[in-house]
Amino acid sequence: MSTANGRGAGVAAPAPAAALAPAAALADLDISRAWLVDPASGREGPGEIVVTDGIIEAVTWLEGADSEGIDAGGVIVAPGFLDLHVHFREPGDEDAETVATGLAAAAHGGFTTVCVMPNTTPALDEPSVLARIHDAATASGSPVVLLALGAVSMGRTGEQLALLGELADAGVVGFSDDGAPVRSAALLRNALVYAGMLGLPIVDHPEDATLTEGSEANEGLVATVLGLRGWPGSAEATAVGRDIAILADVVRDAPAVRLHLTHLSTAASLALVRQAKRVGLPVTCDVTPHHLALTDAWVAGVRRWSWESIVSDGAAGDPWRDGSIVAPPFDPSLRVNPPLRAAEDAMACLAALVDGTADAIATDHAPHAAVDKAVEFGLAASGISGIETALGIVLAAVDAGRLTLSTAIAALTTGPARVLGARAARGSWPRGLVEGAPADLVVFDRSQRWTVNADALASKGKNSPLLGRSLPGRVILTVAGGRIAYEAPEA
Amino acid sequence: MNAAADPALFAPDDAADPNEPDRTLAANAAPAGRWTHQHLLDVDVLTTDDLDLIMQTTATMAQVLTRPIPKVPALRGWGVTILFYEASTRTRVSFEVAAKNLSADVVNIAAASSSVSKGESLIDTIRTVEALGARMLVLRHATSGAPYLAAEHFSGSVLNGGDGWHAHPTQALLDLYTLRTRLPGGIVAGRKVVILGDVMHSRVARSNLWSLTAAGADVWLCGPATLLRGFDAWAAAGVAGSRRFTVTSDLPAALRDADVVMALRIQRERMASGLLPSLREYAARFGLTRERMALARPDALVMHPGPMNEGVEIAPDVATGRQSVITEQVANGVAVRMAVLYLLAGARDSAATRESAATRESAGARDSAGARDSAGARDSAGRAAAE
Repeated sequence: MSTANGRGAGVAAPAPAAALAPAAALADLDISRAWLVDPASGREGPGEIVVTDGIIEAVTWLEGADSEGIDAGGVIVAPGFLDLHVHFREPGDEDAETVATGLAAAAHGGFTTVCVMPNTTPALDEPSVLARIHDAATASGSPVVLLALGAVSMGRTGEQLALLGELADAGVVGFSDDGAPVRSAALLRNALVYAGMLGLPIVDHPEDATLTEGSEANEGLVATVLGLRGWPGSAEATAVGRDIAILADVVRDAPAVRLHLTHLSTAASLALVRQAKRVGLPVTCDVTPHHLALTDAWVAGVRRWSWESIVSDGAAGDPWRDGSIVAPPFDPSLRVNPPLRAAEDAMACLAALVDGTADAIATDHAPHAAVDKAVEFGLAASGISGIETALGIVLAAVDAGRLTLSTAIAALTTGPARVLGARAARGSWPRGLVEGAPADLVVFDRSQRWTVNADALASKGKNSPLLGRSLPGRVILTVAGGRIAYEAPEA
Repeated sequence: MNAAADPALFAPDDAADPNEPDRTLAANAAPAGRWTHQHLLDVDVLTTDDLDLIMQTTATMAQVLTRPIPKVPALRGWGVTILFYEASTRTRVSFEVAAKNLSADVVNIAAASSSVSKGESLIDTIRTVEALGARMLVLRHATSGAPYLAAEHFSGSVLNGGDGWHAHPTQALLDLYTLRTRLPGGIVAGRKVVILGDVMHSRVARSNLWSLTAAGADVWLCGPATLLRGFDAWAAAGVAGSRRFTVTSDLPAALRDADVVMALRIQRERMASGLLPSLREYAARFGLTRERMALARPDALVMHPGPMNEGVEIAPDVATGRQSVITEQVANGVAVRMAVLYLLAGARDSAATRESAATRESAGARDSAGARDSAGARDSAGRAAAE
């Protein structure tokens, strides 16, 4: 604490440097009569689960009279979620988030493993930055597992390969220049082959920057009416097309290559991935919760979920006609890259989860300091603080019948685990409700709603367009690696 | 109930002693009974009743402007700050003259660069301006939507003086007023109005699209296809989801039998960004020349929001010719801005109105003309009269 003399008085004792938080307590649970969802075994139904000293002692599936009165609308137990795409901003932008606050936010959202992106300052392009991040994770005391992607290029400038081999040895689970695409086709080609040799995927953020210079909002009716610079869907599809063409080219010589495309947001780019998977290319992709459920109409002041905007012929209604505008336009919390798209694109993202084109839901959790968002829409930092609202959004889609519960949970657990492959096998592998394994699970109650507000978010980034909104599925308990990562206060 | 027609407020000011205390807005008992908006951010939230009220009030202001001393005390003691983040002479001076004609205390701030490069955020600037006594803020900004951010942090009234490509409501209102005074019978409905040029980047085109379609005009947007991007989809949906307009690059089709042709400024940056091959080619294909105007009705009006590139989007002889109402637009701009400042001050004069208006504005109520005429507005009329 500062003294009355203030900082610099030279007498105040320094705070103990990097005090280690105490390790989280081992979980002891006896959950009877819940709805268990276990994508690893493909099983879902009424059951009981007992955890002793952090180890799953018993998983009992209930049948007949024992299962009566238990349904999927109440307490759910599922494996802990894995987020392929988060920004924890440390090192370099600790005003927006730190590893410790990011991990706390993850636990609050039901996530027990997260994968941080390398667009820190300095970039995660060599092992010492990774060591620093791991130290921060250890110091936080959080049992949530922090995985990291290394940069593809030095300083993420797209010119020279980062120290891929050294980063792999240090434990990164893939490479990405996220925030930007891998700039040149030639560099991507080399990176895919080299990372393939290391057994790791390249995670690309597909965007043709020549089509998005100055872009503010999805090119379409909303951007036209509001006078915002259009961000064409083709900027994503052309980049996805480029990446897939290169992948098809190199896979012949380097069969271990893997390409993961993150935060796909348009029907056209998902169609390209669908086609590429059909011909057997090693490509995977994820979609974000906000691209599933929010649309560009939110920028105009609409606050309906994407599926509520769809009128009879499968197209979105006109918000200026149907009276759905309920908030002021130009809310900077809605500025995000890629931009919120049309409702038809959101429907395509949902459909891609259903048919397996999309392998995972990843949050692209992008916290920002208030000062970077409390500005004009077009000048606001891009990104949504989303790791704590992901489950609620996804459950809203489940409630609306747009996803099954098992598809949704798989896209948060086994789906992203498959994307990372065996290299992600750290502590919590396999991701399932398996007797004898350390408990790695989330307990949430679909019958309980919670209201998103700044105080309710553990993240430093309060830049959520859902502030003030009530979401289904309050998280009751998150257990990571046998330890309690988050426990809801008594209701 | 017609605020604009109240004669007392607009008594000639030449008899007024600046020190005389009683000629305040309230004392003149001119409640803006039907006006409840706290801000003027865009034309899209204005109902046809709102537009009528503005037009009537503008007509009164235009009469004031014909007097030897075109000044009334309606806004005496009101701080009006004009904050421009973009270069502008015409609009800025027009607002300044309008506010001074209403006896407001005007402060002009020309912020040469964007708030971010200046190091101070727009919100900080807004708070500062308010702390320095501004009750009304006229904001010009290069970023679409900036006035909405300002409105959230300013307890007075924000007037959008042009934001990015989005809106320029007072320009649209002065254009509408010009048409009402110049078209036969003052009838805009059914008239063919062509907006010609760089539609995509034009806040003038967007705001006019709202107001002119609301007035029932047959609006045609015409220009090079690269500068019409996105507008076909809007035309298919219609303004407010129903009011149709036409988008075309076929200039003769657009001009044929037009009643009004409004040329837009073309900017050199459009060449740099690859949207146009050259200014010469633009002038050759889309420049508004005397020969092309011959396709329109003989008495068709020529308009331009200014500033003009004569010889590019409009030929000099058309700009200054018999059909041109371009200088009238400028003169009407003062009257319309006086009207808007006056109406906003009236709405602000009643706390009841202010609160209810704020609630409605923040809820973005767009089609609640009925609700706007309800209790809050009646209260304000009663209160203002009582004061």
